[in-house]
Amino acid sequence: MLPHAESDALHARVQELIEAYVRGVAIAPTDFDALALSIARFQAERVPALGRLVRARGAFLVQAASADEIPAVPCDAFRLTRIAAHDAASDTRVFRTSGTTQGGAARGEHPMRTTATYERAALAFGEAMLFPGQTNMRCLVLAPRERDAPDSSLSFMIERFVERLGDRGDFHVRANGDVATIDDDGVARSAAEARREGEPVLVMGTSFAFVHLLDARGSRDLSLPAGSRVMQTGGFKGRSREVSAAALREALAEAFGAPLSDVVGEYGMTELSSQLYEGPRAIGLSSNDLPRYVAPPWMRVTAVSPTTLAPLPPGEVGLARIVDLANVDSAIAVQTSDRVRVTESGVELLGREKGATPRGCSLAMDDMLGAGPR
Amino acid sequence: MSEADRRGRVERVLAMARRVAEASDPLGAEVRERLYATSGLSREGVELALSRHLEVRVSEADLSSLLASTGKAERCHVVLSANVCTGALRAIALAAATAPRIALCPSRRDSALCDVIARELARDPAFAQFGGEVSQVAQIETSSGDEVFVYGRDETIEAIGAALPEGVTLRAHGSGFGLALIRDEDDLAVAAEALASDVVPFDQRGCLSPRVALVEGDDERAEAFAVALHEALAQLGFRVPRGPIDDDRLRAIVAYASLAESIGAYFAGASHGVGLDASPRALVLPPAERIVHVAAASATSLAALLGPFASSVTTLGASGPSPLVDAALSLVPRARAARLGAMQRPPLDGPVDRRAGDFLPRLVW
Repeated sequence: MLPHAESDALHARVQELIEAYVRGVAIAPTDFDALALSIARFQAERVPALGRLVRARGAFLVQAASADEIPAVPCDAFRLTRIAAHDAASDTRVFRTSGTTQGGAARGEHPMRTTATYERAALAFGEAMLFPGQTNMRCLVLAPRERDAPDSSLSFMIERFVERLGDRGDFHVRANGDVATIDDDGVARSAAEARREGEPVLVMGTSFAFVHLLDARGSRDLSLPAGSRVMQTGGFKGRSREVSAAALREALAEAFGAPLSDVVGEYGMTELSSQLYEGPRAIGLSSNDLPRYVAPPWMRVTAVSPTTLAPLPPGEVGLARIVDLANVDSAIAVQTSDRVRVTESGVELLGREKGATPRGCSLAMDDMLGAGPR
Repeated sequence: MSEADRRGRVERVLAMARRVAEASDPLGAEVRERLYATSGLSREGVELALSRHLEVRVSEADLSSLLASTGKAERCHVVLSANVCTGALRAIALAAATAPRIALCPSRRDSALCDVIARELARDPAFAQFGGEVSQVAQIETSSGDEVFVYGRDETIEAIGAALPEGVTLRAHGSGFGLALIRDEDDLAVAAEALASDVVPFDQRGCLSPRVALVEGDDERAEAFAVALHEALAQLGFRVPRGPIDDDRLRAIVAYASLAESIGAYFAGASHGVGLDASPRALVLPPAERIVHVAAASATSLAALLGPFASSVTTLGASGPSPLVDAALSLVPRARAARLGAMQRPPLDGPVDRRAGDFLPRLVW
């Protein structure tokens, strides 16, 4: 078999599954488990970190029946060792996490041999949860452009959304090395233009960027035409100037003139290839409710016990263990330090586990915005 | 305030501590019982701390060094933490060298040694003869000219420092950890045994406790050392078991173990754990539960690995000079340097944490 043939075949199977979802075909849990285990067996052979975990835990993937049996690679491992089924020479892209208190040297890395499955997964679920049925929509972005932040998976995803929606994006964050600035006047100009043309807008950005924008808003009119919606991503991760999710949602709804239900949270991580969204578009949630996130059918979120890492019954609070079929060439199962409650109606995000390394693209934005003049 | 008074007060503090070190002395028995109830250490762990790690054997040179290391004030306030159950001795000795009037603010969680020494000093006519006067307080109240020693988390130090009036000197003793360096020529079993004896005291909660061991050489040597350390910790843990582990601490252990398993290996024992990263890209600080992170390193790779942690290293443990040790000393020049096996037995020669202040590094090999 050619070096990447097995990987290519698995990518193809995952992409088929995504296409089936787009066509409205339900994905059976047994099909999910079978594909997850195929990918896990492939990775256990080729990704040393998973191979070590499988041996250490005595996991027997050949006989496993459920994706729950796949040992999950901790997120922190992505910053300490290479998590990839291919060699570095085959990387076409490396997504990186923000720097932590340990500095840039300890940034997590998610090497990609191909971004095709990532892109397909992001677009399929993004379209369903954020812009259903839209092919042409003005976008207002509070994140760096992909060319300015080539290792940001968020920038990559947003640019794909913008392209899908007719490539009419106004990017209002300028990144220059470690320094980023928000063009507050530019945001106001884009909003005014959209109002003039009566065209709904998809606003996308990180929580920190939104907080910076709101802090500097002054008397600027940021209201947008009816039908506009806002996607915010990233928490605050124990940093200064924390704003509760509910307060930020309300402030964004007020600033952009959008209903609360059209301010949608996105949960993504550099270590994953798929994203969760508040859904369906947060309808029915009051501002005091904890947002519930929905995973695409090619992703499974399970709360596990922080003391045993064993899956917990639905409704119990534990750490999020995420099986993402789109992570074909890295780690199919990822263990996060995010506390969650998983029920039939979705995933409630309850914050970071005590003592966990602060992380996230939102944090990177804040670091960058804090580093220079606005 | 005469030098004789300063010295006399410190010697009285040491006299009380010597009684505490003796299990047969009523003071020793009292402190042992109280520490067993409050410190979180096993009975054997309490005994080890008091009989081997309470700094009661002080040479003349060390005493002179301690007296030279402090400032002078009329009054000294001491805010203690609960991390190391014997830590109160050095803190009170330094305070006694600094000022005749001492106000002690013990940790609510673990005040045994502070309570007993303070009580006995208050009753001690000799201490009073040297001008000494000691009290225990729930909160410090300072005025200009006072000195304040704060032991604890960096946030605590910052909060107390921000509230101090002008003219008060703050001497902070913040968090940190010990770094062990295993040289190319070291016998791995001997080094592992020595390091285990540095890890076990206080269940690794002290700011000198080694939590990371860097092994000069290749990945196989790092793995061999991890295995040797696992065995040494198991043997010592059999004699001195770790104190009970609550859920929060277990979570931290499980998270670290899982990480170590994915980047290298994790060797779990009943009272300890050893994580291995034979090809480190960055260092990991394991939870302070008798867990040691072992990684291969060289003099050339050290700066990148240690850089982010350099300001937190309080002590370097090694068996002598080597390119790796020399490189480490240049990166953390203010850390104490100690022989492996003596990292948790620093001489009572001044503040245990030498990162702040005008202290010269003191090499012991």
